[in-house]
Amino acid sequence: MARGTNQPSRHKGMSYTKFGYLFIAPFVIVYCLFSLYPLLTTFWYSGTVMQSTQAAFWGFSNREVYYDRYLDLTKIYDSFDGGLEGQTGINTTDYKNMQAYFAAQNKADQYDPIDPEALQYIVDNSDISEATRAKVQQVIDTGDISYIASDADVIAELSDWSSNYVDLGITIINSLGKVNNAAMTAATVAESDSDSGEDAITAEDILTSDQYASFLDTLQTGEFDEGQTLLMNYLADKAGVASLYDFFAAEDVSVESDMYYYICANLDSPNAVYTSEEGETSVNAVAVPFMADLTAYLNANVWSTTVPAINSYSEFQNYIDGEIDLHSDEEQLYADLETLNEMGLIVPCVQLVQEGDALVPSSNVANNILAAMRQYIDSNYQSDEIKTNSVLSINALNNYLNDQGRTRLVDAGFDVDSYITFNGDFDVNKYIEFKSLIGLGDVLTMARYEELDQQMRDFYSEQAQGNLETAQGKLPDAQAAYDAAVATGDEEAIEAANEALSRVNSEITNAENTIKRPSGILEKADSSTEYLFVGMNNFSEIFGNKYRFNVVAGAFYTTAVMWIIGFIPQILLALLLSAWFTDTKLKLKGLSVMKALMYLPNVITAATIAIFFRRLFSYSTGDATSAVQMLLDAVGHERINFFINPWATRLIVCFINFWMWYGNTMIVLIAGITSISESLYESAQLDGANSFQTYTKITMPLLRPILLYTLVTSMIGGLQMYDIPFNLNQYPSLVAFNGTYIKCSQTVLMYVNQLAFGKSSIKQVGIASAVSVILFILTTILSILIFFMMRDRDAAAAAKAKKLARKAGGNR
Amino acid sequence: MSSNDVKLRSKSGSIAAYSALVYIVVIFFAILAIIPFWYMFMNATWDSYSIQSGIKLWPNFAHLGEQVKANWAYLSNRSTFSFALGFKNSILITVSSTALTVYFSALTAYGISVYDFKGRKLIFTIIVGVMMVPTAVNITGFYRLMGSMGLLGTRWPLILPAIAAPNTVFFIKQYLDTSLSKEIIEAARIDGANEFYTFNRVCLPIMVPALATQGIFSFLGSWNNFFAPSILLTKQELKTLPLMVSMLYGDRYTDYGAIYIGLSASVFPIIIAYAFLQRYIIQGVSAGGVKE
Repeated sequence: MARGTNQPSRHKGMSYTKFGYLFIAPFVIVYCLFSLYPLLTTFWYSGTVMQSTQAAFWGFSNREVYYDRYLDLTKIYDSFDGGLEGQTGINTTDYKNMQAYFAAQNKADQYDPIDPEALQYIVDNSDISEATRAKVQQVIDTGDISYIASDADVIAELSDWSSNYVDLGITIINSLGKVNNAAMTAATVAESDSDSGEDAITAEDILTSDQYASFLDTLQTGEFDEGQTLLMNYLADKAGVASLYDFFAAEDVSVESDMYYYICANLDSPNAVYTSEEGETSVNAVAVPFMADLTAYLNANVWSTTVPAINSYSEFQNYIDGEIDLHSDEEQLYADLETLNEMGLIVPCVQLVQEGDALVPSSNVANNILAAMRQYIDSNYQSDEIKTNSVLSINALNNYLNDQGRTRLVDAGFDVDSYITFNGDFDVNKYIEFKSLIGLGDVLTMARYEELDQQMRDFYSEQAQGNLETAQGKLPDAQAAYDAAVATGDEEAIEAANEALSRVNSEITNAENTIKRPSGILEKADSSTEYLFVGMNNFSEIFGNKYRFNVVAGAFYTTAVMWIIGFIPQILLALLLSAWFTDTKLKLKGLSVMKALMYLPNVITAATIAIFFRRLFSYSTGDATSAVQMLLDAVGHERINFFINPWATRLIVCFINFWMWYGNTMIVLIAGITSISESLYESAQLDGANSFQTYTKITMPLLRPILLYTLVTSMIGGLQMYDIPFNLNQYPSLVAFNGTYIKCSQTVLMYVNQLAFGKSSIKQVGIASAVSVILFILTTILSILIFFMMRDRDAAAAAKAKKLARKAGGNR
Repeated sequence: MSSNDVKLRSKSGSIAAYSALVYIVVIFFAILAIIPFWYMFMNATWDSYSIQSGIKLWPNFAHLGEQVKANWAYLSNRSTFSFALGFKNSILITVSSTALTVYFSALTAYGISVYDFKGRKLIFTIIVGVMMVPTAVNITGFYRLMGSMGLLGTRWPLILPAIAAPNTVFFIKQYLDTSLSKEIIEAARIDGANEFYTFNRVCLPIMVPALATQGIFSFLGSWNNFFAPSILLTKQELKTLPLMVSMLYGDRYTDYGAIYIGLSASVFPIIIAYAFLQRYIIQGVSAGGVKE
């Protein structure tokens, strides 16, 4: 019987083992596809540069449409004999019409002018004429923009309506744009200055100009209202002179001095803010025609010193690019303004209050700028999101209508609006219709593109062949010159010769590469989604470029600091609580309920918790405020804007991490302690050991593996920190790190996310992947390091514990 | 004798004082753990002005129903937050990914535990090893892969990878090693059952306790997931609840009552589930720590 059952089972057992592969196959396949392969490709991407993300790919069937859109044949073929027409047989006018179509479509894509909700708002709430209202309603109903696009009166009325709406967000973005232009001007002036020196306004020019004379005249004889007089007196007092006239007319007045700049800035609107005792009156500029030129001068000369560091400038550029969104909380806007101010990008201003006959700075010095900003925001800010959208919608519509591409097509007699799609999606069919209308349907085909591509490849290949021959001809001379230089031993000569030699060598390499892979027109268009392998360039960019290095190192530093500061109290409290919870002498009741409550935060969505804490700590100066600010009021402390202070923001993140995770750690430790053999404790008790001794001599050593596990898992999780800092403050204030401004709570993953998936139009996938790879390597090294460090000690500790146990057993 | 008595009494006295101290600390932290949620729920019943002018630790008894309704209506009017939609999306993703995780992890763990095939030790070692790999580092590669597979803008990138969950495989395998007797499988084979029938009908029911625990953790992990969805789900109609909650931030036209009711709504289902399942969850956490 036994034999009977055994034999088939053994026989079958052999074949059964194969089922193992079947059973684990789904796991292995999915893991390789969805985890391992992406990990490897991330490594690959870390060595690549993505050339451009302008192009979106919409499938092979419309590949020629894709090339139509992204190839500018006029540019490519300018360098060829006979131009576009001669080389390709394409009528230049038709081709330009097609380009105009795309330009108009791009505008339409960019702004998505028909936002039904926003337009509906105009219909429902604005005081526009009935005719216009009806037309807007038609646009909403039909989705066809031409009802209003073709009617200049309607557009004029809508533009008028939108220009009467003041939105601080838009205002600030606009004024930042102006500031940026000024900075650009400054850069241009500085450049032209170094060339000719004729264009730049010099201090001498200002002081000797007629306008300056009339400015002095205004100061001496002009009539000013009370507020202006007070302001002028205040500034004169600050400059240590009797009157502003004295200051500006003095022999030794220097246009470059800080005080000169300060006074001018405060005389110029809207930086002079003044609060009288009765109410609030803002003091406008002392009206002098001279100011316009002065501003130009200051822009030219001050910007070059105010924005010395390229990183500050690029950070500032982010504001203008919209990477840092000014359209969030009012409170955040406020913080952004202060950040800009910290960066020296906003002209300093003080809040002045009247005391007797004089203006003095408000006693609340620290908040002076904030107070002024606050006042400005409060008096100008209108909280109406939909209305803002409506205005943006109208602006976008205007942009589209004024687009040069569209105008061109309208002038040429095309009903362009009916071929454009306004919902943000490019409609291939509409485009193809248009293309055949202008007669390019049979001209711009895939076959044609391939033909052109081949022509171009041949051309470049031939050109490179010529270059190669020239370079190879130069090589022997360069080599000989280098050898001769080495023979003389003159270091400078060697260096120069070496440079020349390597130049020739790189010319040869370049030419050889081009011959091997000449680039055609299609490659140029395709390269928008192509990853160019650049070896270790991304890593040398990270480690070689001081700015980039500081931002990356800063993100690692921020992450590590926020993890460690949260982790230390977390592990300490968990150790304490687990010791108490397992202490049999205490005989605590209701522990399971307490455990359950303490673990609760760990199961709640981290995003929710972060948003909650954001609300809890948010800052405002008025009566209505958040809980923590109310608590500060209650204890009589000044209110604190936590999210402007980098360390306060970080500490809140640490606290949330601590609060969410100590319960988890505690439960793990309790489990560890309870798994330690009871007899060890009994024998220790018999030996008269107290709780503390038992804990340090038995529990701690035996708990070490669990502590190791906690440390490693917490570290891996901590380095991947994202949800909490991201949701707590999506626009963190800036803090200097090693001379570069970094976002105070930006973790590594937040940085990766910003680079690869951020709002910027240039996606830096290569750098993002390189940072991911660094994170991966760092985590692996740290895990292994901790593991081995702790394991060696473990082995010793375990041996000791065993000895102790044996000893204890022997005593008994 | 009497001196001994005094000593004992004083000792028990000091223990009483000690446990009183312990109680105070423990209760403090227990309250600290729940007070934010309490505060969230209470604020959800007040109007924006009251919330900002005083700390509300009690419900708005006078206008409880109408204020909650008003806050909810205000919240529902926002274009960025729809509880029903977010809940539906979260449930769809979470339930399907949990089901996949549990079933396929059981399958894999069973395969490793039951069949003595070549390389199984190596495979298991690799699984333990990759548990330690930080999961978020491959995001750029993953995103591009999803793009080339045409899965961006769908829920699949968050569901399909759930089939391979090394942690879950590890724990179920540990469970199987101790709780599954080979005799049952032998018996099923003798009865003529094929291997998949044996797994699905005979062994899977035995694994239920382990599957339930792992299912809970997988569910929580997927439900609370923020990083990957925030990158992969850009369309409003696909956004999960955490993503919608995250949008409560970016709004300067703030109605605090609406925000708090939104936060509460996202927390409430978890707290209810936790109330019923906390025993299993805590057991699961304990088991995780000890077995490693």
